[in-house]
Amino acid sequence: MKMIELKNLTKEYCDDEVKTIALDGVSFNIREGEFLAITGPSGSGKSTLMHIMGFLDRPSAGIYKFKGQSIEDLDDDQLAYIRNEEMGFVFQFFNLLPRTSVFDNVKLPLIYTKISEEEKRERVLKAIESVGLIHRVKHYSNQLSGGEQQRVAIARAIVNNPAVIFADEPTGNLDSKSGQQIMEILQNLNDQGHTIILVTHEVYTAEMAKRLIRLKDGKVVSDEPIKDRKIAKNGLIK
Amino acid sequence: MRSALTMLGIVIGVASVIIMMSLGRGAQNLIISRLQTMGANTIYVEPGSFDPKKGGGFATSVIEEMSIKTLTLRDLEDIRKEPLVEMAYPMVYGSGRAIYRNEDQKITFIGVTPEAYEIDNWHTYKGRDIDEEDVKSAAKVATLGYKIAQDLFGEEDPVGKTIRIKKADFRVVGVMEERGMKTFQNFDEYVYVPVTTAQRFLLGIDHLNAITIKAKSESAVNPLIEDIRLILRENHGIYNPEGDLSKDDFKVMSQVEAANMVKQVTGILTAFLSSIAAIALIVGGIGIMNIMLVSVTERTREIGLRKAVGARNKDILNQFLIESITITLLGGIIGFIGGISFSLTASIILTKLLNISWKFVIPFGAVVLGFGVATIVGLVFGIYPAKKAAKLSPIEALRHE
Repeated sequence: MKMIELKNLTKEYCDDEVKTIALDGVSFNIREGEFLAITGPSGSGKSTLMHIMGFLDRPSAGIYKFKGQSIEDLDDDQLAYIRNEEMGFVFQFFNLLPRTSVFDNVKLPLIYTKISEEEKRERVLKAIESVGLIHRVKHYSNQLSGGEQQRVAIARAIVNNPAVIFADEPTGNLDSKSGQQIMEILQNLNDQGHTIILVTHEVYTAEMAKRLIRLKDGKVVSDEPIKDRKIAKNGLIK
Repeated sequence: MRSALTMLGIVIGVASVIIMMSLGRGAQNLIISRLQTMGANTIYVEPGSFDPKKGGGFATSVIEEMSIKTLTLRDLEDIRKEPLVEMAYPMVYGSGRAIYRNEDQKITFIGVTPEAYEIDNWHTYKGRDIDEEDVKSAAKVATLGYKIAQDLFGEEDPVGKTIRIKKADFRVVGVMEERGMKTFQNFDEYVYVPVTTAQRFLLGIDHLNAITIKAKSESAVNPLIEDIRLILRENHGIYNPEGDLSKDDFKVMSQVEAANMVKQVTGILTAFLSSIAAIALIVGGIGIMNIMLVSVTERTREIGLRKAVGARNKDILNQFLIESITITLLGGIIGFIGGISFSLTASIILTKLLNISWKFVIPFGAVVLGFGVATIVGLVFGIYPAKKAAKLSPIEALRHE
């Protein structure tokens, strides 16, 4: 089933009469359960593309449909609702709330839902357990190492059980061992059925996905499955 | 820490509003209760005039009143002849020093007639009151207030002793009962002398500063006020058939009117002081707005993150509004408690140390101010920063450094 449908997607920024084209007619589809890596040099538009797919930004032209719904037909509150229900985000710089416990950080997406406190608690603990940080539940986010912080961010991304997880350079700010752990978690999540869209400029990280799209100057230059997929658990990162 | 400092602005604002209101109301109650003990039958006559155009306020200032010399003992005699009058006493006053051997005390001396003891219901407990004979002969006799007697004579019995006031020797004939401090004047520091003696030897005048009249009944008060006005206009040669009070050179007030006037004056004073305090509150509110704007800028990434995980504009708006209201409300509560305890302490000090029968009041308006205004300040000054936060686009907020 098609989860994401892009057709002729364009994004332009107008800044002081200088027009920058970030995306220039991007078209492809993503099915449920895929593990897609988007890669390309900086300025190629990969982050912009991910932000539009994650409903954080709107395209200038073209069609974007998420689960059959066109972004044009949705207002900001509806986008927020879908982000909350269907999407999870992992950022390069973690974006955890400082002076806030691991528990409360992971709980953040759930405070905008209507489920009961008891269920929220259960889900938060389950998410923290799945990234192996249950012993850190009461620690403040700034007391953790970078790798641990990113694992908290992943727990936060999966706590609402989203259909798709967007990861924007999740290993970009980590040492290789921590990065490998993060990729292992993402691969496991994909095995459990989550769709994962990974933006990275590192070739060896991209090769842990199942499909690779290369962008250049806002255009798709290649779109192919990864033949020799690397498994993080096997310790292939050097 | 920063929030605490911001809160301080609100704390001070609310506290000062409450202190002003509470103390203002307390002072008003005190003066009115004092006036009420004088009895509803009492009428006062003083030099000066009313101006009805100024809402019943005074047309003449205190200085002008002092220079009006038309109120005399002849007026008193004519007023005493009125059938509705039970009794009346004149008053002249001044200040000076009373000397007995090495003791030297600042006093207020008051020239009166024997009726003063009756109308004020305040008598000598030792010796005797000043009598008619003393007044007629302008005798140099005095009755001392309780405190003055103590300060000058200590353990000695003052009755029969001689004190010196303004180069004249006075024989002490009596000591007054202890009365305490009321309406900011300590009656126990008063020295009563015959009115004629005070006019001739102490002040060198032949007019009066006031006349106090006791009507035969409460219902006689209003007709009597009119009668007194007619007598005084005739005596003072004022042609005023339409009864325009601003043309008179005297004021006639019942105890009820006097109470109303006090209420009006203290009310204006309280409102004035409270509005100054309210400015502190507004300044505090601007502080809140400032800190919230800084907070929005500092937490831009947090706002972006919250939006990314599903917060709607409304959720962000509410979050920041609740934050600013919490700060102001907390400040309001602390300020309320602070203001109330300050007023309470002040009332205890006034009662215990200065012997004033001060009643502690929490004005209802102050409670409303403490909580209502604090919340409104939080809302008004929080809404702009909160709106600014809510309008941020999620992706720009996330990119913010």
